[in-house]
Amino acid sequence: MDIRITLNGAPQSVTCAPGDSLLAVLRRLGCFSVRNGSETGETGAAAVLLDGRLVAADVLLAAQAGGHEVTTVESLNVATGELHPIQEAFVESGALQSGYSAGAMVLATKALLDRVPDPSEWQIRDALSGVLDRETGYVKVVDAVQRAAALLRGEKPEPMAPVVVARLTDGAGGPVPDAPAAMPRLVPAADVPVTHVVGKGAAKVDAVKLVKGNPAFVDDIELRGMLYAKVLRSPHAHARILAIDDAEARALPGVHAVLHTFNTPRVKYASGGQSWPNPRPWDQVSFDDKVRHVGDRVAAVAADSIEIAEEACRRIAVTYDVLPAVFDEVEAIRPGAPVIHDEEDTEGIHDAARNIPRQVDGQTVSDEELEAAFEAAPHVFERTFHVQQQHTCPIEPAITIGWLDEDERLVLRSSTQVPFHARRMVAPLLGLPVKQIRVVKPRIGGGFGGKQEMLLEDVVGHLVLATRRPVRLELTREEEFVSARIRHAQTVTFRAAVDDDGHLLGLDHHVVGNTGPYATHGFTVQSVSGQRGLSQYNCPAKRYHADVAYTNRPVAGAFRGYGAPQALFALESLMDDVAHGLGLDPVELRRRNWVRTGDPLDILPALGERGAAEIAGELPRVTSCATDECVAQALRAIGWERRNDPAWRQPADRPNIRRGLGFALCMQATAIPNLDMGGASIKMNDDGSFNLLVGATDLGTGADTVLAQIAAEVLGVETGDVIVYAADTDLTPFDVGAYADSTTYISGMAVMKAAEAVRERIVLRAARLLGLDDPGQVELRHQQAWAPDGRSVTLQDVALHALHIADQEQIMATASHVSGESPPPFAAQTVEIEVDVDTGQVTVVKLVMAVDAGVVINPTTASGQVEGAMVQALGYALTEDLVLDEQGRAVNARIGPYWIFRPDDTPPMEVFLVQTMEPSGPFGAKSIGEIAIDGVAPAVRNAILDATGVTVNELPLTPERVWRALHA
Amino acid sequence: MVTAIAYVRPVTIDEAMELLAWSGAVALAGGTRVNSDTTTRQVEVVDLQALHLGGIRAESGQLVRVGAMTTLQQLVDCDLLPAVVREAARRERPSTLRAQGTLGGCVATGDAESELLAALLVHEAVVHVEGPAGSESVALAELLAGLPLAGGRVITAVSVRTDGRAAAARTARTTADKPIVAAVARATPDGHLVALTGVARTPVVVRTGDELDPPGDFRGSGEYRRALADVLTTRVVEAIS
Repeated sequence: MDIRITLNGAPQSVTCAPGDSLLAVLRRLGCFSVRNGSETGETGAAAVLLDGRLVAADVLLAAQAGGHEVTTVESLNVATGELHPIQEAFVESGALQSGYSAGAMVLATKALLDRVPDPSEWQIRDALSGVLDRETGYVKVVDAVQRAAALLRGEKPEPMAPVVVARLTDGAGGPVPDAPAAMPRLVPAADVPVTHVVGKGAAKVDAVKLVKGNPAFVDDIELRGMLYAKVLRSPHAHARILAIDDAEARALPGVHAVLHTFNTPRVKYASGGQSWPNPRPWDQVSFDDKVRHVGDRVAAVAADSIEIAEEACRRIAVTYDVLPAVFDEVEAIRPGAPVIHDEEDTEGIHDAARNIPRQVDGQTVSDEELEAAFEAAPHVFERTFHVQQQHTCPIEPAITIGWLDEDERLVLRSSTQVPFHARRMVAPLLGLPVKQIRVVKPRIGGGFGGKQEMLLEDVVGHLVLATRRPVRLELTREEEFVSARIRHAQTVTFRAAVDDDGHLLGLDHHVVGNTGPYATHGFTVQSVSGQRGLSQYNCPAKRYHADVAYTNRPVAGAFRGYGAPQALFALESLMDDVAHGLGLDPVELRRRNWVRTGDPLDILPALGERGAAEIAGELPRVTSCATDECVAQALRAIGWERRNDPAWRQPADRPNIRRGLGFALCMQATAIPNLDMGGASIKMNDDGSFNLLVGATDLGTGADTVLAQIAAEVLGVETGDVIVYAADTDLTPFDVGAYADSTTYISGMAVMKAAEAVRERIVLRAARLLGLDDPGQVELRHQQAWAPDGRSVTLQDVALHALHIADQEQIMATASHVSGESPPPFAAQTVEIEVDVDTGQVTVVKLVMAVDAGVVINPTTASGQVEGAMVQALGYALTEDLVLDEQGRAVNARIGPYWIFRPDDTPPMEVFLVQTMEPSGPFGAKSIGEIAIDGVAPAVRNAILDATGVTVNELPLTPERVWRALHA
Repeated sequence: MVTAIAYVRPVTIDEAMELLAWSGAVALAGGTRVNSDTTTRQVEVVDLQALHLGGIRAESGQLVRVGAMTTLQQLVDCDLLPAVVREAARRERPSTLRAQGTLGGCVATGDAESELLAALLVHEAVVHVEGPAGSESVALAELLAGLPLAGGRVITAVSVRTDGRAAAARTARTTADKPIVAAVARATPDGHLVALTGVARTPVVVRTGDELDPPGDFRGSGEYRRALADVLTTRVVEAIS
């Protein structure tokens, strides 16, 4: 049918099908800022203005828009390199992380400010309630709208800059300056050297393309003759495939390939994106003759359109022998449970008959010594906890587009966190040498660990090779939930032996981890659970045991925190119960036990980490730690003393409400020692600018920006003088990818080394131009090379001289870095809550986190990481749980019933960045990406205990669970 | 997904009724539900946007008549309507879907969790329907009990009373989440009316002594929903007393 719309002010005639969404039509018309996040209007990534009103173009038919005015963010992009004031505000405030929904957010802002020039915070949150952001925590988005409003009113808002807060632990104290919540509170350390670029909130290097909605993501390209792929998924939780009849599907016009177990080579692999050799067992093949969860792959189709591909899937006749299934991890490892991996060609399953692919063991003393410690202890506390499957829910669903290039090499443009691992892992499945494959990661719309997986690349590769046409495969939101990766559910039993003063004498941490039907990250996540559960407190006797369990739930994998949120929910809940039992203040109890600089991290070597210290026969130790200061800041900011005020705890005018405060201590790691490696390459251009090529994979976190800042600091230039190109296996050096909190620390150090090598070449030549004998006297700053007497040459002079004048050379260097250390960041989490004791409803009123992440390279992006992680953690605490029915079908595989927090229900939060000078990190940096997801759930659980005296040891802390505890 | 294989935009009610009499025809108001339906089927959509079913006007006897194609956001913004109804309309959907979703669509889908429907029930809403047999005005409770609407019928407007103190209370996982159970009460000359969400197939008016048998789901068992119904009913009745 033909419709007429006015698109961004110009009349437009469009031919479309009656069922085409406005989203699909706008993308065909080149409005790539309008993006797919869901098919149900739930993410808002596809929001546009229809006659000035913000609507969701994924649930609006193009035909419905006929006769109306449609506005996308492209309408604001009037000139190259220039920004609309709203866009400017979003860049300045740090509101863009992946920027996948940036266009929608800018339009939401425009629609609001056109009506209300000076909106309240609540009006902003309400106006943005339809645009979900899995990344920022909304604090900086609200700030961006306020900033935009001010700019449009002709005012000049304060620039984003950290608010300096004096240290509390050295007695200086002093009040916290009043400042917008979006500005991070920076608690400086005296021994941190002065820097010019590092430590400043530089705008993201990718901000302009994101805020303008320029085509930058996987799906934002158009390839002639591209086919659309669809995967037929299992309706059964556990079944053998006896036969597949694909004749009807193949006969459908427009179908180009149908692949399944009976026509695809059987090559074993493990899909977790990890260093070579991937941990065993390798228990997957591209298309198996058995399905092991609802949503498992059965077949894949490539066709001229998604609709044809879907129809072809419906026409594939599959004969199943349906088998009994098991979903709970504890039941799965009991004798008599259905055996999920009974095939003969998977090597390395620890105990296939009991559904245990791997076990993890580590202890600092013998079993006898541990039991003796528990027997001798005056107090023993034991609790069992259950934590659920939480989905990563990136707003951009997983997507891969593949094609054969002019050299007939396979190119895979993919939303991956691990392009180099994906290339290495996909090659044998496709029967291609690695050199025949190129993997490119453009901008991606959030990952959070879920994309640390070789998830779609093999399917797309097989289909490209079968059809010799470009092929695109994107998951629907429902497929994301059931067939992408999800956080491991665990049943955790934690025992603590303590003396009368609350000193820990023994810790025994026992886990059954639910990996779903494939082991992927099962071994490593469960290893990290033990590392995190048994590291942050000093204790003479520690033991960890984990059974990794196969079940018929959706496949678990990497998710921000990687085993730590599970362990710290259990440990930090137990610590509060110990304090309660001994009548001690919960913070004081922890203070008597927490590790400080110099303390041993003795469980790490026992759990498989081979750091420098262990190789030298010593224990790794804490090299930098500001826990005391973090705790002091977090307690003050939440008003911890109110715990002792009965009038506050039980407000007189609201008889059903009890108030409480909760605390949790957190510790994460920074990269995997002696394993994670990143490479960087820097070259100098004619004008004194630099190209920085890194394998590191920016998921929206701001990694590219941080790496550019590090290079700029060393080279004496501005961040904008460093042009970053990243994560392309043909063009950039290797990097393990974005995981294990490694990018700033590992890739950052590689950048620093490469920049130092480039700097060496620059100062040599500058000394020659300045007539200096000693190049060591040359200083680089403000894009110039300076002599001690104040003379200078520009870097452009140096570059032109090097490239064109004399002894010509390309000034460039490549470096890589691997670390023997993994210096932990530390954090203190506090929360304020209200509990409705008649209904069990818990309302979180405020979140505070104070983090010691070493020297933070970019306080704006770093605090954005903390805010966003706290909101994900709040979902873990209160709502997010993929629930299955008795047949193993997900009952809430939509964002609404699953529920991730929105702008209008996310509570206020405050972030403190407490500096320490980490000796092994670039400019003193440690990691910050993951730690902030660890503390909210236990802190909320502990706040419920504080408010009501009851404990709930199962996540999420739903109103009904709390109500049952209150009425038990 | 539901796939629209035909799209029509009638300009008169008669034309719309005729088109909707087809068995595969579905009325399209804002589109937030039809276009997000993930079941696999093909439909012919009849877009009601050209029927001039918008507009809100005060009528005699403390009644307000709201056109069926009035968006949820227009309800929020309309000060002729009771505050409890406006707030319920705001809570119904996030900003994007609120600018798109309509009152008529909300009524026709009868969502069990709709706080707006509960608010309309206690405000004695009457639904105006055009059908092959002529115009009729049906009490909202009766219409919800008879959903889905029989073929060929179009909701044109909803009338609500604006008098009487009203209050709402709810329990949910978060402050913006759909309530597990919500209660809305309104004072009437001879007592009060209470409506609940989350305890039956659609929101329902309950009277003292009614036995509830709510279906449970992962957000709340039947037993829990019964307990919430008691607590929340007490609260809203106290609030208007």
